[in-house]
Amino acid sequence: MASLARQTPLFRRSCLSASRSPMQVMAFHASAKKQILPPLPQVIHGTTNDAVEVPKTHATEGSYHWTFERIISAGLVPLTLAPFAAGSLNPTMDAILCSALILHSHIGFQAMVIDYFPQRRVPKTRAGLMWLLRGFTLATAVGLYEFETNDVGITEALKRIWKA
Amino acid sequence: MAALRSTSRLVASSRPLFRPAFASRSYATVGEPAPSEQPKMKTFHIYRWNPDEPAEKPKMQSYTLDLKKTGPMMLDALIRIKNEMDPTLTFRRSCREGICGSCAMNIDGVNTLACLCRIPTDTAKESRIYPLPHTYVVKDLVPDLTYFYKQYKSIKPYLQRDTPSEDGLEYRQSQEDRKKLDGLYECILCACCSTSCPSYWWNSEEYLGPAILLQSYRWLADSRDEKTAERKAALDNSMSVYRCHTILNCSRTCPKGLNPARAIAEIKKMLTSH
Repeated sequence: MASLARQTPLFRRSCLSASRSPMQVMAFHASAKKQILPPLPQVIHGTTNDAVEVPKTHATEGSYHWTFERIISAGLVPLTLAPFAAGSLNPTMDAILCSALILHSHIGFQAMVIDYFPQRRVPKTRAGLMWLLRGFTLATAVGLYEFETNDVGITEALKRIWKA
Repeated sequence: MAALRSTSRLVASSRPLFRPAFASRSYATVGEPAPSEQPKMKTFHIYRWNPDEPAEKPKMQSYTLDLKKTGPMMLDALIRIKNEMDPTLTFRRSCREGICGSCAMNIDGVNTLACLCRIPTDTAKESRIYPLPHTYVVKDLVPDLTYFYKQYKSIKPYLQRDTPSEDGLEYRQSQEDRKKLDGLYECILCACCSTSCPSYWWNSEEYLGPAILLQSYRWLADSRDEKTAERKAALDNSMSVYRCHTILNCSRTCPKGLNPARAIAEIKKMLTSH
């Protein structure tokens, strides 16, 4: 990466001189100059014989989190089909479906934030996005609650859209 | 070497003492093989980067070889380029039979071992050879696998056991238990799978990647190992295993035909059943 740092002033100089003398041709670079999160120089902590540090175990992460996620994902299939199969509308089932949907999408977006915004690389952006996600999830929950209590509810709404 | 070769040729072609004259004449009638037909020229574009000139950007260099004078594998082509055309070309190789994992590289868009990859005989198509994707490059086709090996060390890839064996001789296991290790012990840690995994590209600092997880499962599945609980606890966090999103690039690219994705799924199952 030191090479890149050294390269920038060179590149600028060639740009400036190109404007003065039309004979000079700017170097052609196929790679994009503006990368999203370009890789940082390699950092190896400790010697090559030291093992990598094992991440800490957390009660809400790891296997419990994964099992919970799978149960909700699998549960969404019968929950979505049940009201249409039964042909009747049940406010309790509607509430369960809504909460499962909210949890499912929250976990899904959470995984995306963890994947695309590495903690080590962009800790502040990561924290900010996590709070943004929580805000969105809360807003969705409030919105769905209002929709369920003061309006027709999600299943009935879908039914009407389908038949409209 | 050259001297030795010419000597042996002398010995082979020298006429034996008791051979009759007509027999030696039959030797003389054997002519040179007919000159081969048209050469089969194929172009290889190879990624080049020299650490001695850090200000220079990596570039692709083209080499054209006659496939009729080259061995069948990509590694043969690379060795021929290095021997006969460009000695500065740098790559790792050792066993030339897919057992050491040194010559792992990205050939025509697929991570594989150069020694197990046939050169496509279609000469109209040009081959492109890159180092393993998303690795720090040491030079040309040589990736830096330091972190990969450090991650391998973190899973304690050795038998951990406190109780001695019954007869004090060796740790025995049943044939069924031994069968569980088939498809796991063959892994040569060439890093083809890990460097093909998008999730490993994004989070290689913490996610262990398919190769290391396959090795991890190799010790979790071993009936002789007694630290299964500790091994499981070390993996039970959001990063080590659960960054696997079953993209399955690992199983698709493995040059040894192993299935790291299955091993990761087995780990997930093991972690779920506490």
